[in-house]
Parts: sequence; C-alpha cells; structure tokens
Amino acid sequence: MTSVPKLNIPLHVKYIQSLGENKDDLTYHMTAHLRMNAIYWGLTALIVMGHKDALNREEMIDFVLSCWDDQAGGFGAHPDHDAHIHSTLSAIQILTMQGALDKLDIPRVTKFILSLQQPSGVFAGDSFGEIDNRFTFCAINALGLLGQLDKLDVEKTVSYIRKCKNFDGGYGAVIGAESHAAMVYPSLGTLSILNRMDEVDVDTLGWWLAERQLPNGGLNGRPEKLEDVCYSFWVLSSLSMIRKLHWIDADKLIAFILSAEDSEHGGLADRPGDQPDVFHTVFGVAGLSLLGYPGLVDIDPVYCMPAELIESMGLRTGWEALPRKAFTS
Amino acid sequence: MRVKSMKTMVLQVLPNFALARRAVNFPRLFISYHSNLQIQAIQVLLVREQRTFLQVSTIKQSALSPLMHGVKRIRYTQEALEALKQREKAKLKEFQALTEEVLTKKKAGDYSKDAFDSTTRLLRVNPEFYTVWNYRRNIMIHGIFPQCSPAEINDQLSEDLSMTTAFLKQHPKVYWIWNHRRWCLENVPDGPSEDDINADSRNFHAWDYRRYVLATMPVPRTELSELAFTTKKIEANFSNFSAWHQRSKLLSNLWESGKLDSSKSKEDEFELVLNAIYTDPEDQSAWIYHAWLIGNGNDASILNREIKAIQELLDEQPDSKWCMESLVRYKRMLLKNHGGSLSLDEKQRLYEECSSLLTQLQEVDPQRRRRYQEIAESLEH
Repeated sequence: MTSVPKLNIPLHVKYIQSLGENKDDLTYHMTAHLRMNAIYWGLTALIVMGHKDALNREEMIDFVLSCWDDQAGGFGAHPDHDAHIHSTLSAIQILTMQGALDKLDIPRVTKFILSLQQPSGVFAGDSFGEIDNRFTFCAINALGLLGQLDKLDVEKTVSYIRKCKNFDGGYGAVIGAESHAAMVYPSLGTLSILNRMDEVDVDTLGWWLAERQLPNGGLNGRPEKLEDVCYSFWVLSSLSMIRKLHWIDADKLIAFILSAEDSEHGGLADRPGDQPDVFHTVFGVAGLSLLGYPGLVDIDPVYCMPAELIESMGLRTGWEALPRKAFTS
Repeated sequence: MRVKSMKTMVLQVLPNFALARRAVNFPRLFISYHSNLQIQAIQVLLVREQRTFLQVSTIKQSALSPLMHGVKRIRYTQEALEALKQREKAKLKEFQALTEEVLTKKKAGDYSKDAFDSTTRLLRVNPEFYTVWNYRRNIMIHGIFPQCSPAEINDQLSEDLSMTTAFLKQHPKVYWIWNHRRWCLENVPDGPSEDDINADSRNFHAWDYRRYVLATMPVPRTELSELAFTTKKIEANFSNFSAWHQRSKLLSNLWESGKLDSSKSKEDEFELVLNAIYTDPEDQSAWIYHAWLIGNGNDASILNREIKAIQELLDEQPDSKWCMESLVRYKRMLLKNHGGSLSLDEKQRLYEECSSLLTQLQEVDPQRRRRYQEIAESLEH
C-alpha cells in the first residue's frame, strides 16, 4: 500500500461542507430534484470518513421534514417537489443515520411505499408508474429500515426480480433488459434483505462481475464500456453480497479510485481529470471501505449505510467485505 | 470461410498502431479505402483507441452538480468564476421565476392551457425536473383531455413525443424524458404507433424503450424483423453487447415458439459469433454470447466442436485469456455432463488441461487470479 496515495479526508470533508454554500449558482438550483439524495450521499460519505458531525444535524433534519409531500405521504427531493420512492428512501436513510425516525409518520409512509407495488411485483417510482428494480430496492430498503417488511408480499416481489435474471447471471432494470451492474446491485440488495440469495447464480454472476474490472483497475457497468468510480460500489457491493470480493484486484481498484480524486478542491469524480461530485465521492469512499482501505468506517454494502448501525438494528445480512488494512509507513 | 485472426490482418493493413491512432481523427475518410471486413476490424481498434484519445466533450457545469458523468475538470480562477456567475445571473433569475410560477400554479391546482405552456418552458430549461413532468401529465389528464376528441388527444401526445425526441438529442440518458414518452404511448387512444424506433447502439434507455414499444404495438413488429435489426447492429459493431443481448431474448422466443428451427438457427449463431470472436478475441461481448449459445452444455458434439474451434484460435493467439477461460468452462462441462461416456484417461487428460489452463490464466489475467485458483481447487474434488 505504500505506493498508493492517501485519501485526503480533511479535504473531502471540506468539499462536502462547501456544497450547500453557493446558493447563487445556477447548477445548484437546476439540480434541486437531487437535493435529498445529495444530502444522503454527503452524510454517508462523511460517516465513512469518520466525520459525521461535519454537517449540522438539526438543519439537516429540518430540511428533510420540509420535503414531506403530505398529499402523497412520502418525501420529495426538495420542498414543493412531488413524493418519489428514491427521495423517500434517502429521507428515511438520513433520519435513520441521525437517529430521528421518531419524527416520521411510519404507518403513513409505509402505506405510500406499499401503494407503489404493481401487480407484477415490481415497484413504481411514483404514481405515474415508471417501473424498475431500482425502485423495488428503494422500497424494500426503506421497509427494512422502518421494520415494516412483514407487510410485504415477498414472493410477488422476488418473482419479478427472478424474471429479470439474464443468462450471464446478472439482472436488468426490467424484464428483458440487459444486465447492468447498477441494476445488479438493487436486485441483489432486494434479495439479500428478503433473505432470498438462493435465487442468485453465484458462479456465473461472480464471473460477470469480476470481468467488470478493466486493465487500469477501474470497474465498468457492462461489457466493453468505460470504467467509472460509481461502479466501485455497484459491483463491489454485489460481489460482497455473493462473498466474492476477492475475485478482483483490490489494490488496483483502490489506486484507480484515488486517481479520480480532485486533490485541489476535494471530492471524487467518475474518472481521473473529471469534475468531482458528491455522488461519486460517496460511492468512491464506500468502495474503498469495502476494499479494506485503512482508516475508514465499515459500510454495509446492502443498505449503503454504516455497518455498525445496520447491525444494531438487526438488519445485517450475509455479506463479506475485505478485512480493514492498516497504514504501512 | 472464416477469416484468420483479424487482429493479425489489421496489423498487416496497418503496420503499426500509431497509424490507427492517427486514423481516429479521420475515421470516415480512412475507412472508405478499405473493404467491409477490414472496416469492421479497423473499427474495433478505433473504438478502443477513441477511449484513450478522444476528448469527452466539455459541458460547462459548475462544481455544484451532485451527479455528473464525463465532465472534464476545469480550473477557474476566482475572477473567472465570478464572471461566470455574473453571466449566469440572468439565467438563474429567469429559472427561479419560472420555477416559482409553475410550482405556484401547481399548488393552486391550475390545469389550464397557460399552466401547460409554462411547464413546456420550464422543462425545456430543465428536463430533469420530475415534479414538472408530473404536473404536465396531470394538466393533460384533468384539464386538457376531458375537452378533447380522441384525435386531438392523439395530436397533443404526438406533440409531446416530438418535443421529447428533441430533448433526448441533448439529454439521451435522462430517465424522466424516457418515462414521459412511455406515458404518452400508453395514453394514445389507439396505442403506440411509432415507426421511428431506432435504438442508439448502447443506450439501455433506448433499448428498454424499444422493447417496450415493440411489446405494446397494436400490430406487433415481427420478431424476425427485430432479429434483422440486431444483425445490422452487430455487423456494424461486434462489441455491441446490447444487440447480442436483444438477440438472445428474441431467439429464445423464436425457438420456443417454433417460428425458427432451433438447431439450424443455432448453427448460424455459432457461425456469426465465431466470426466475431475471430475478429477480436479480446472482445468479451461475443464470448458471453457464445457461452449463452452453449447453455448448460448438454450437447457433447457441439461442446467438442466448439472446443476444437477455440483451441485453433488459441494456437494462433497463445496468450488469449478468453480462449483459455472458455476452454476451461466448456471442458468442465464435458466432465460434469458427459463424464459417464468418457474413459478414465480422457477424464484425466481433461482435468490436466483445465488445471494447466487455469495456471496460465493466473499469469495472463492476474487481476482475477483468485477466481482461477478457486476453480482449480474445485477441480480436485
């Protein structure tokens, strides 16, 4: 590990803190539809780096609650935006990590989540019915955190995912779709939470996932595509759920993730030389954590939240990450 | 006749890779001098080279987007950043005013044509504003459609389809736009009727949308014509796994329904995919498709024939990882499924070959050596 540059934690913490500051910026306002997710990404990244308190807890909770869509019974991404399953999950994740689930009308939001399940078993993102396995995972993940999985038709949910399985062992977003690492993660996450990993063809999927690693160490999402730091999480979390994380070269991937760091202003980008953002920052550091990178907090690859917290809630599933390494001088 | 390894051939056409690299700048000009087969091979190289040499187009985006892909990092001085902000100030003001206007109308339950037009203006600026797409649909459902004839509904939805076509040219990966198109099609009184369902080569949104439209058209397009579409895509680029994937789905249906003779059709597929493999033995798309064709490996004669073909390629390209990987896969299938009809010597020979290939694989593909080790260990049992 001596040749690998060190993750510049203080700089990344500062970067995340700075994200909410420039409110006179056009892009900041143009991306309001991602605000709730961005806060979840930022908070999780901070926790993985051991700086949970770098953002103000009360302000964060207030913001989350201000995004409640009382008509739908879920959370939007921003005040006055419509409720959506993705922002609802992020809100629940933030409240869980901040120990503030008591502020939530759990029966109401559970009803909203369950209302999104379609007859086929897949979940829609909102009342307009865009469906795919990402939304199923958002729903199952949220129900897990809220302790409401007993209200779910598990077989119906699993049967849809089963139909999305392809011959390469992977899963697509919907029935018939091509396997994609960013869709394998939510499919496996759902099966893992529902204790149905027996559905997975571990050898074939492990092969397909291991082949995502490119000669430069980075991971791609599909055959013959470019590497991207966010796949460090989609692929690694999937590999750790099937306990095959050692099937790729961890040191090379660590070096790739660190090469995407903006060493001047902080944050990680999709690949070296690109503009960093909080999305790639969290999935980069979460990937590093799964790879046993020294000095980071353990992350649960299923919920993408601190492992200790998930374990304390009794939600730990059978994943395996690499043992935490020590810094060598 | 199958071509000899295309890479060898390309290297004869192009004495060195540097020339291929230079060709990146003039791909059209360059390939016009060559035959189709050579073009295919050259394209393989070009695609690889483009990844390294072509600059991703720079979209001016500040550091404050929470999620970006392929946006080159730009270093601004403090002054330049200030100047940029000044220039954007007017845009920001306009955007905020429009947002305010739309959200106020939405809260008031305004389902007028005027409100509809303001959603158009806002979505043109920001097509990711999903709340505004929702509002737009609600205006159509509750405000506009009740007063419309089916033909007028059709016209309105067609207009939204062309509007989103224009949006997609600029934002091909925005889920919300694809989602709106799907909604439009679902609400066309006579069902979807789009002719123009041409997928981008790897955009999975486009492929998903295509599958959706094909499945819901009142007069379905035949699977055979869709198969021809994938052939065209594959012939244009053997690396297009999205097209191979679509092909595997179509063929499964065609074989199951008996619309295609499965054994004859399978032979054609082996021929096609082996051509792809021989063209570029490092391209995993074709190998994955080959593994699908082999399936569980229940047919010993096919297994033996394919092993022989791959072995020939390996003899020519002795460090080909995918040849070795596939040989191990198929030889293990022989042992597992057809072990009963093999002599002890034959079995022993297969074990030894697998074991030796796995040792070589650990050398040529060290990133995945632990996987090869595990398979080697499982062989002993």
